[in-house]
Amino acid sequence: MGQTTRHHIVIGSGVAGSQAAATLREREPDSRITIVTLSSLLFYNRYDLPKVFRGVRDWREFLVQPPDYYETNRISVRRLNRVTTVDSARRRVVLDHKEEIAFDTLLVASGGRGYVPEELTDYRGLMHPFSSYTEALRAANALPEGGHVVMLGGDMIGLDLARTLLDTGHKVTLVAEAHAFWPHEVGDEDRARFLAALEHMGIEVVDARAAGGIAAIEAGAKGLSARRVALGDGSEIRGDVVMPFFGLTPSVEFMLGSGVDIERGLLVTPALRTTDEAIYAAGDVCQIWSDEDHRYRFFYGWKNVRAMGELAARNMTGATDPWVSVQDEQLRLTAEGAIHSPFWEYQ
Amino acid sequence: MSGAALLGPPQAGAQPSDSPSETVSVDPRDIAWVRQNVPCQSACPAGTNVPAYIRQIVEQRFGRSYETNREANVLPGVLGRICSRPCESACRHGWPGNGEPVAICHLKRVAADMKDSGHRITEKLYAPTGKRVAIVGAGPAGIAAAHDLSLLGHDVVILEREERAGGMLRYGIPEFRLPRGVLDVELHNALRLGVQVRTGVDVGNGHGKVPVSQLLHEYDAVLLATGCMAASPLPLRGRWEKEDPASACADVEYGLDFLMDLHRGQKKRVGKRVAIVGAGFTALDCARIAVRLGGREVTIHIRTAEEYIPVAKEEIFEAKREGIRIKGLRSPAGLQLDEAGRLTGVEFVQNRLGGWRAKGRRQAIPIEGSEFIEPCDTLIVAIGQQTVNDHLDVKLDLDRWGNVRLGENGMTSNDGLFAAGDYVRGASTAIEAVGHGREIARKMDAWLMGRERRRTVVHITPVERPLRERAFDFIVRQHMPTAALGARDTRKEVETGYEPAAALEEARRCYLCNLRYEIDVDRCIFCRACIDVAPRNCIKMVDGVVRAQDASITKLTETRDWSQVAAIWIDNNECIRCGQCYQACPVHCISISRCELADVDV
Repeated sequence: MGQTTRHHIVIGSGVAGSQAAATLREREPDSRITIVTLSSLLFYNRYDLPKVFRGVRDWREFLVQPPDYYETNRISVRRLNRVTTVDSARRRVVLDHKEEIAFDTLLVASGGRGYVPEELTDYRGLMHPFSSYTEALRAANALPEGGHVVMLGGDMIGLDLARTLLDTGHKVTLVAEAHAFWPHEVGDEDRARFLAALEHMGIEVVDARAAGGIAAIEAGAKGLSARRVALGDGSEIRGDVVMPFFGLTPSVEFMLGSGVDIERGLLVTPALRTTDEAIYAAGDVCQIWSDEDHRYRFFYGWKNVRAMGELAARNMTGATDPWVSVQDEQLRLTAEGAIHSPFWEYQ
Repeated sequence: MSGAALLGPPQAGAQPSDSPSETVSVDPRDIAWVRQNVPCQSACPAGTNVPAYIRQIVEQRFGRSYETNREANVLPGVLGRICSRPCESACRHGWPGNGEPVAICHLKRVAADMKDSGHRITEKLYAPTGKRVAIVGAGPAGIAAAHDLSLLGHDVVILEREERAGGMLRYGIPEFRLPRGVLDVELHNALRLGVQVRTGVDVGNGHGKVPVSQLLHEYDAVLLATGCMAASPLPLRGRWEKEDPASACADVEYGLDFLMDLHRGQKKRVGKRVAIVGAGFTALDCARIAVRLGGREVTIHIRTAEEYIPVAKEEIFEAKREGIRIKGLRSPAGLQLDEAGRLTGVEFVQNRLGGWRAKGRRQAIPIEGSEFIEPCDTLIVAIGQQTVNDHLDVKLDLDRWGNVRLGENGMTSNDGLFAAGDYVRGASTAIEAVGHGREIARKMDAWLMGRERRRTVVHITPVERPLRERAFDFIVRQHMPTAALGARDTRKEVETGYEPAAALEEARRCYLCNLRYEIDVDRCIFCRACIDVAPRNCIKMVDGVVRAQDASITKLTETRDWSQVAAIWIDNNECIRCGQCYQACPVHCISISRCELADVDV
């Protein structure tokens, strides 16, 4: 009887998923590899998206690999496909259009999307998220030259964008919430220091807690700024675009009911294996058990996410290696008094 | 041809009914068909005929819809707001591939809110029996039992310790979820048939209390429906193993006491940073009250993960909108107090998920050496409730959790003493209490009268045409409108109710699972037209069936071999009652009948 070809499915085409697919191909030249992704584009680097505000709008500029890379490496990419459920007992991934795809091993690398606090969900239509190329393009199109961006929350993705916006002549106001430097964990004392550094960089900072929180977001009347953010103390900020930056929330909805353990993200062993021996997870979607911290925790940053993709692929193909973080997580001030995050260092 | 006839040799259980087109069946196969195929009704502890009342909303007969609810549950307006919704978890519309469940609970509220203001209540009264029944506790179980027993002709007295009737509905659930006006009207309607309610009466041992033995002497039967009124203690380490933290520290309080004191009219205070431990409705209610009392950082700490919290997802979402955060995989281990004895933090231990416990709950396994502190000023403990038996001066058989054991007839080990609701089953939900109250009332009646006076049958009515359109399957679940965040306080109702148009849209989503689609195999020409138009794998070529002990069909055995096909069969378990097959059939061999459980006189 001939040996059947193993089929690895990777959900997600970001850094973790794409790295995993590459490693899988390297280690198993004959296996079938399928990437299922919601994205309309092939793998592009989300960390590059601020370039959109520098006028780089052509999607081809963002692709990490040329399209023929996937053909050459026999990696099938199913774009614009939404996974609705994973039937772990039958080893099937179920897509939105009812198609079922069988797998031998599955890697969930669906990443995270921009979290919008529940109290602001009514205002979704008035905000411009920044989680994908399409969203970045939409925000850039809505922002006039020299326009004013009001950032809500503040996280290292948003603050990275803020650097580009300042550099391109835009005005940035940050309504800083408790986790303004997510995913860095910053104490109250350091927070004040870092907020001052942001002001020094040219960002107008409003401390949301002192201002009574964000009360409402409204569309400006004709002739006024496009958006108005009302704060709890009665003050308001007018701007052209309002962008939420409250960190990432793992995209795990389709895994509910799969039998795999979930807290906020998929809970995985240091080998990145979920509670199902055929299902692994990598990237912003998983919480990895840390012996050091005695808890499950997220590991962020481009370097970590890529390393997770690679490790998961190795372990899906026979290895049993444990996770080791490769990312510096320390937020710093530069000699010029600006903040610098190692999360901004990417190739 | 009736459904009963199609299922096998007729017609031992079929009887004529008052309505010429309706058949009344006592055939166990028909009863089993309804239980298997109407998942919402089967999941409802009170047995509410959900498809019927939703259909009546589509027909704009809100009063009739309300009465259909009331046949099973005397508090539709109340449960339409606070029910734990086991029906929605079972709803066929929520099965994989079918979308989201119908908003059954919101539609119950629609029936209650949109009926005419002068709506006529329908009650079927039995002649007085001369029997006297005392019910201890005016919570949902006691109220439901009192109502049913009074309909059955018994003289009922309720003895309630608090100043007002309602039990946990009044004292445990915040007004912003259950307006007291709605509760008062429905309690009044439930008890207006001569039920006496004596409030401020403490049943138990000791001075000024009424002993249960005295009630047993004075009444023909006594029902204990005292609920689960003791908060479960927090299992902490160190000094707290032997000391109740709520007694030792003013900043620690039990959630049940917190809510009850608040609803008795006491002024409650919380610190700026409030920690709540617990994962049920009480924990969520305490958190939402804490936000309204000025808590700035209110966090619910749970042992497992949000996915496993037994609370409606909409409630969790609303709590989060109000700024409450939920943190998982942690169990409280100790308290951190300052020199003045004020709370400064809670020590937690990190958990990992374990296997499954009873009732679909996940186990949490603490991880040694993973302790950490969460700073807070107030701790509210809402990890569950326990029954209390110290008010009993009679001896009863109890199980190992201290809950009373009941016999098949609903009676305790003491003659004439019955029990119902949370007092028997441990902390549960309002609808479970209502359902159990009804069940025990029926058993009490049988014991008092020496015979069963009610029995369950199936009413089978032919339906001329499909009652749904395929387009209804694509309507999305309607969003429940809510009060603006800035307008929320401890009393204003958060969920404001569907507008009429949204109510109609939502009602149309119901598959009406009580409709039985059948193919008359003698007339079927095996053309496959029905199979071609079926949106799901619901019409099957079968070569046999598997029957349960009661002879109901539990499974079809399919075949693809035409030579083996015994029948083209509609699998009512898969069927979404879209009516496509009925429309497509060229020889009209598909029939539709409505099958409904009903309680009738024996």
